[in-house]
Amino acid sequence: MSERKSLNDLGPAAISESGIAPGDYNPVAIMPDMRVVKLGGQSLLDRGRKALFPVLDELVAARKVGIPILIGTGGGTRARHIYSVASELELPTGVLAKLGSYVPMQNARMVQMLTAKHGGIYIMDDDFEKLPLYVQMGCLPIMTGMPPFGYWEKRDQNSRIPPNRTDAGVFLSAEFLGCNRVIYIKDEDGLFTDDPKKNKDATHIPRISADELIERDLDDLIVERVVIKYLKRSKWVKELQVVNGLKPGEVTKALNGENNGTIIYRD
Amino acid sequence: MSNKLLTGDGRTHIESKLMRESLQNRDVIGDTDSIKDRRILPDITVVSIGGQSIFDRGKAAIIPLSEELATLHNSREHAMLIAVGGGTRVRHTAAVALDLGLPTGGVAQLVGAMEELNAVILNSLLAQHGSITMPRDHFWDLPLYMNSGILPIVISVPPYHFWEPPAEVGQMPAHRSDFGVYQQAEVLGTSHVIYIKDEDGLYNKDPKEHDDAVLFEKIALDELLENPPETNMIDWAVFTSWKTGKNVKKIQIISGLNPGQLTKALAGEDVGTVITKD
Repeated sequence: MSERKSLNDLGPAAISESGIAPGDYNPVAIMPDMRVVKLGGQSLLDRGRKALFPVLDELVAARKVGIPILIGTGGGTRARHIYSVASELELPTGVLAKLGSYVPMQNARMVQMLTAKHGGIYIMDDDFEKLPLYVQMGCLPIMTGMPPFGYWEKRDQNSRIPPNRTDAGVFLSAEFLGCNRVIYIKDEDGLFTDDPKKNKDATHIPRISADELIERDLDDLIVERVVIKYLKRSKWVKELQVVNGLKPGEVTKALNGENNGTIIYRD
Repeated sequence: MSNKLLTGDGRTHIESKLMRESLQNRDVIGDTDSIKDRRILPDITVVSIGGQSIFDRGKAAIIPLSEELATLHNSREHAMLIAVGGGTRVRHTAAVALDLGLPTGGVAQLVGAMEELNAVILNSLLAQHGSITMPRDHFWDLPLYMNSGILPIVISVPPYHFWEPPAEVGQMPAHRSDFGVYQQAEVLGTSHVIYIKDEDGLYNKDPKEHDDAVLFEKIALDELLENPPETNMIDWAVFTSWKTGKNVKKIQIISGLNPGQLTKALAGEDVGTVITKD
């Protein structure tokens, strides 16, 4: 039997199953100045004009003063509806992930239509490499927050819902681009000790470490659980910022690098 | 299920079990689960052909295997989906990319192209028997292919692309070819996945380096997870994901260098290593 044909010179670095030796790895930040921002589905888009327009005004204003922004959109109630129908049919998680990708796409397109006159441009996964063009042209690129895992999304232990949804997708965009922070625009001031929509005694947490959050083992969380897991091992993203889009000025502050809302950081 | 639109809290909802709920809430998402997942195309067997183990050996390994595949396909006894790996060119891509300091997602974006090459190679040999290269997510076309006597060939690596999550260790994407094959089988609802490699099966350590390596003939997934082999011939993510999966019942690892092994495996014989899950 013939031997495997291998490329003897594997390039400059020797590679093992986990990659190259950490000391030999000098990561390159792809587009570190981008502000990667997620617009919540249930928290903003499902609220319609009243909630969304002021947020878009702030994003457009920041873009016009030269802050480069990438927007990823969430799903919301229509995603919950299709997850609900699909779960009843016992469809696999991979199919739910595919189904779940259509609603954030609609939301991205709505945001594009609203911001088109200010350079809003809808981009798909395959357009991701054209980000530098859009940024240099002064555009405001908008994409689905959903990562492209689709049918290849892994099943969770006790849930049929895809664990990597729009919070994760936006985080992973930022991580690839080499950004240090991801901004999540929701309808709360950030993280609370309990769901503030259901418990009035819940108190605001301005800053918390990923470890502490994991340790608390909360039954509910403001971002997808996998995001906290990824934050622990990411190369670039060190902080998640959750801000309230319903309060005027909060989005602008976050885009200017202020520490409003809740910061979840890696130690 | 309902079709009502509800307002009153500043948002417009569609009535459903998940309405207004946080999808991070364990109780809420727990309600979406059940003991099984629907099987979409249960009669297909997913057959993975290793890149390094088969394709990188060139003609001597590829021709006998492709002939066996042609015979099996022409018999029309089995519905197969063939997935190909990329092999040493994938490793080379990763070595150069990481030396350049590209992120994990960058590596993941690049490697699929090297698998496409092997899909074209295999299709060049099998097209006369009805093979076709299928974009991996076009599997809603599979009923058409199966009913028309077409043998679909896909690439293996999952489409995580730039969005590959940071790995627990190192910079290499954790979701690689073997995982992609498993996950495709899982979502289709197939119960049997066959990995064709260049060893008789899965060993407790690399048989190419250790003479005393022991072959696992039959092993349960839980047992394997408790006793991981020193060197993994199959991406470990396959087994950790399979733990939570519902559909795949049997993963078989066979040698593609021994003609006839694939035929036996498809006939249900316990050749190579058979890993089972209850």
